[in-house]
Amino acid sequence: MARTLGVKPLTVESLDKIKRTASDLVRHASKNLRHCHYADLRIELVEIKSARSENGSGKSASDDYVFGFGIRVLAGDPLPAPGYFGHRLGSADLPKLTPLLKAGLKQAYDRALANARYKAEMRKRFKELGESLAGLPLAPIETHQDTVKAEYGIDPRSVSLAEVARYTTEVSRAVKGLGQRIRFNAIATSTSFSRELFASSEGTLIDQSFATTLGFCSVVAENDQAEQSLYDYIGHQRGWEVVTEGTRTELIRHLDLLTFSTSLAHDCLKLIDAPPLKATDKDVVVVTDPHYNTLKAHEIIGHPTELDRALKMETAYAGRSWLLRSLKETQLGKSVASPLVTAYSDPSLPGLGHYAYDHEGTPARKVMHIEKGVFKGFMNSRQTAGILGVEPNGSYKAIEASLVPLIRMSNTVFGAGQQDPQKIIGEVDRGYYLVGHRNPSIAESRENFSISAQKVYEIRNGQIGQLYRGGGMTADTKDYLMKVDAVGKDFRLFPIPNCGKGQPMQTKRLGNGAQTMRSRARLTGL
Amino acid sequence: MISLATLKSAVQRALRQAAQAKDIQEAEVYASSTGHLLCRLNYTSAIPCNGVEEPKSSEAFGLGIRAVFSGTDGPRIGFGSEARDLSPAAIKRALEKARQNAVPDPEFMSFPAPPQAQPPKLPASHDRAIMDLKDGTLVEAGWTVLREALKTFESSEPLAKLAGSKEKLANLGLIVGGDVSLFRQRIAIGSTRMPKVQTDESTYITSAVTSMVERKAAKGSGYAATTHLAKFKGEAGADAARNAILGAGGQRLPSGTYNVVLGPQPVADLMTNLILPSLSADAFYSCKSAFLGEVGRPVAADLLTIYDYGAAKGFVGTKRLTCEGLPTGRTNLIQAGVLHGLLSNHYETQRLLKDPRAREKLGLNPQEHQDVLIPRNGFRLSNSGGRQFDVPPSIAATNLFIEGSTPHSQESLLASVGNGVYIGRIWYTYAMNGLRAGDFTCTVVGDSFLIQDGRLTAPLRGNTIRITGNIRSLLRQVTGVTKQAKPIVGWSADEVIYAPEIAVRGLQLAEIAQFMESV
Repeated sequence: MARTLGVKPLTVESLDKIKRTASDLVRHASKNLRHCHYADLRIELVEIKSARSENGSGKSASDDYVFGFGIRVLAGDPLPAPGYFGHRLGSADLPKLTPLLKAGLKQAYDRALANARYKAEMRKRFKELGESLAGLPLAPIETHQDTVKAEYGIDPRSVSLAEVARYTTEVSRAVKGLGQRIRFNAIATSTSFSRELFASSEGTLIDQSFATTLGFCSVVAENDQAEQSLYDYIGHQRGWEVVTEGTRTELIRHLDLLTFSTSLAHDCLKLIDAPPLKATDKDVVVVTDPHYNTLKAHEIIGHPTELDRALKMETAYAGRSWLLRSLKETQLGKSVASPLVTAYSDPSLPGLGHYAYDHEGTPARKVMHIEKGVFKGFMNSRQTAGILGVEPNGSYKAIEASLVPLIRMSNTVFGAGQQDPQKIIGEVDRGYYLVGHRNPSIAESRENFSISAQKVYEIRNGQIGQLYRGGGMTADTKDYLMKVDAVGKDFRLFPIPNCGKGQPMQTKRLGNGAQTMRSRARLTGL
Repeated sequence: MISLATLKSAVQRALRQAAQAKDIQEAEVYASSTGHLLCRLNYTSAIPCNGVEEPKSSEAFGLGIRAVFSGTDGPRIGFGSEARDLSPAAIKRALEKARQNAVPDPEFMSFPAPPQAQPPKLPASHDRAIMDLKDGTLVEAGWTVLREALKTFESSEPLAKLAGSKEKLANLGLIVGGDVSLFRQRIAIGSTRMPKVQTDESTYITSAVTSMVERKAAKGSGYAATTHLAKFKGEAGADAARNAILGAGGQRLPSGTYNVVLGPQPVADLMTNLILPSLSADAFYSCKSAFLGEVGRPVAADLLTIYDYGAAKGFVGTKRLTCEGLPTGRTNLIQAGVLHGLLSNHYETQRLLKDPRAREKLGLNPQEHQDVLIPRNGFRLSNSGGRQFDVPPSIAATNLFIEGSTPHSQESLLASVGNGVYIGRIWYTYAMNGLRAGDFTCTVVGDSFLIQDGRLTAPLRGNTIRITGNIRSLLRQVTGVTKQAKPIVGWSADEVIYAPEIAVRGLQLAEIAQFMESV
């Protein structure tokens, strides 16, 4: 299909001109800047089309680009310190990008030097309390020069904005058409092609491209007695076909956006006629479906296994991790879950969490978190890997080049089990089946969670029965994981497009996945 | 930073260029120059660290154009922007993008017309020191906060006693995290309906710090927000360390229903995550508000008044103009317990006025009560980075004030509770069954104490209590409000909550995470 250029003066090919220059600039940084120990540079250009409709009418559409760069410098003697500089750019910046990058490098270097001077002063001033102020060398990695291509069916650059807007409004109109009891709906789509360059003073040069497409639906339904609002996403690292055709692969299966959205609206309509779920004050048997468990994997496996949290770097924001109390007191090698539970992060899996190299050029690899119930390890960055004395595993990512990366999930999942999901339900005399995740509220170190569900059904004598509206379940993390007594073989990956972390907050897209699982927890109600 | 004069002349030029396009019925041009400079702190006494982890910045300038284009099937509305270029060529590209992006929106009426009220005459409140800030000062601001925290830890006799000696303080697992953020922003706006280009500029500095004595499971918080760098002394670091020391050796609390006092952070957190989203006009339009159909009716205890005041002189969130070129002002949201008005922008006000179901959604006819929907809160904010040219206006609060009819001191508020729980910091507050249902849950993470005989006594252990409640019930169960308030900007929030301490009757608290005692 022909590519639509619109009025954008910049395309991902614009980076061809700067690739080698950027690499040379950063490679020579440690020679040109006297106290520079390390520098890296990320440049990104995203071509993105998006649209939003409400109640069957268009609200907005956009065909634009995001262009920016970010620089990290470690500099200063005797204790190096980090300095950063990031900029979003415009099309007028392309011809003058080299001097902009040079100035950015100098500014990051100056920040690092100032930071290092204060660090040395404070270390001296505070004696024992100053001893932990350290140089923090990056753990070594092999250097790579590589180019990674994007995968897609319909190139996001080839679909016209008019088509994106038309389809989005068509979906919204279809949801509205389900009747008067649908009080509001909002549909949003986006399809993008991004290209990221990473170059380091160590000689790494990575050129990665990604195609990403997302669809979103929010519905409010209401009758005389009740209301229900639900929202959900579809998404994949592929082209525009993700929303128009859906995805039918072994690990990712979702409907086209129109069927997906009308189905979510039908769920809302069923739920407003259902009785509210009552909370329980004691544990009950809970069977949870792959979509519900996806958010559970995200919240109680993914987040506490991010090493920046575990090392207390996120104490003020995203929180810490109960899996690491101190460098000498961790849960590594200890039983934290039932032997049926295995969990890991794997950027080689498809979906929103897929990538080949992270944002410091470390090759991405599978990180085992829990193996047959035993805690095995954290996602890390080069700095945090150096602190813990382990190998970097490629988990350092930013949502755009101008922002500083953080340790983020790739595809963090519960590993598949062996059991038939129907049998997992069939074995329950009395319990509840929670379908689809809704909202989470998790304790600071991830030691307790509460996650609401889209739908909750009663299970009686092995059969799914009454549907309930609202509510979900809550439990202490370790108790819940230790009580898991069945894990299904119906593994699926889902998109999580809105994971917030960092200051300023970076809302990241990533993948999570799971299968049917059975354990015990308390129900929360409406 | 780009000067106001340059931004203003770019807007004037863009309006002239737009006027020459035959298919443009209306146009609105917004230019901004915004800087967010930030030092993220990470000090850990028992883990190697950098102290100041990320001295960084994000600077942006450019212009955005919204325009109404003639079309064969009716008008189409589009938005386009260009970054880091205010030249005629950039204006042309932004106009072309707006034309290309235009869609028919039957609910769009027009851009704002000149208001009857003039923008408030506020004295210039921006700080040249922040506008002209150099990198060295940015890094220094981060280390100032950290130094104040470490000085507090170092000089604390109770902490030395807990450690065994001053030399062993580091073994207690002391943590200082958080940030110092400096914002500087300039805007210019004009439209075919308001051709006189208006400008506004502001600066502020915030610091949110969390400290821990981790061996004693104690967490303390410190907050500071001011408009001028000279007033910034790093006190948030000292406060956080002091509060962490006070929390050492906290105890667990049995599950139950308690009378509580919510400290400034929980009040701010509830406002940002539950109450303000429900007081926004778009939440009424989309039937998502917890107060749907309740305008003009009691929604809170009659002692409670909540208002947004963008034109309040000398406050951190003060702005003279909205990002739609309209004057800021005072919007009474809840007045003596009655839902009185909503946060709105021009677009949402117009579409609710036109909405045939508006009476049902609001609870009264907005045509007869237009003061309910005055568009004083149309701002273009993006990624917690201040006012940005590349997004269209949405709705945001500015300075939010919460007052009681009989203002308390902290002492009299605690005395009014007698026996209960002081909750100083909550975390991960979400509407679990959708905003409209009002149900929420969160956990208590620090700064919390038992209240016994009207005084704060034993600290409570962080991460051992989950709160479950409903925001509508909570507002009705407020029994008192302190006069003193603290400016708090939440994580990823844009508004400044001047948060008092609030007493609430009968909150459900559940003990959690008992397994952690043996980890």
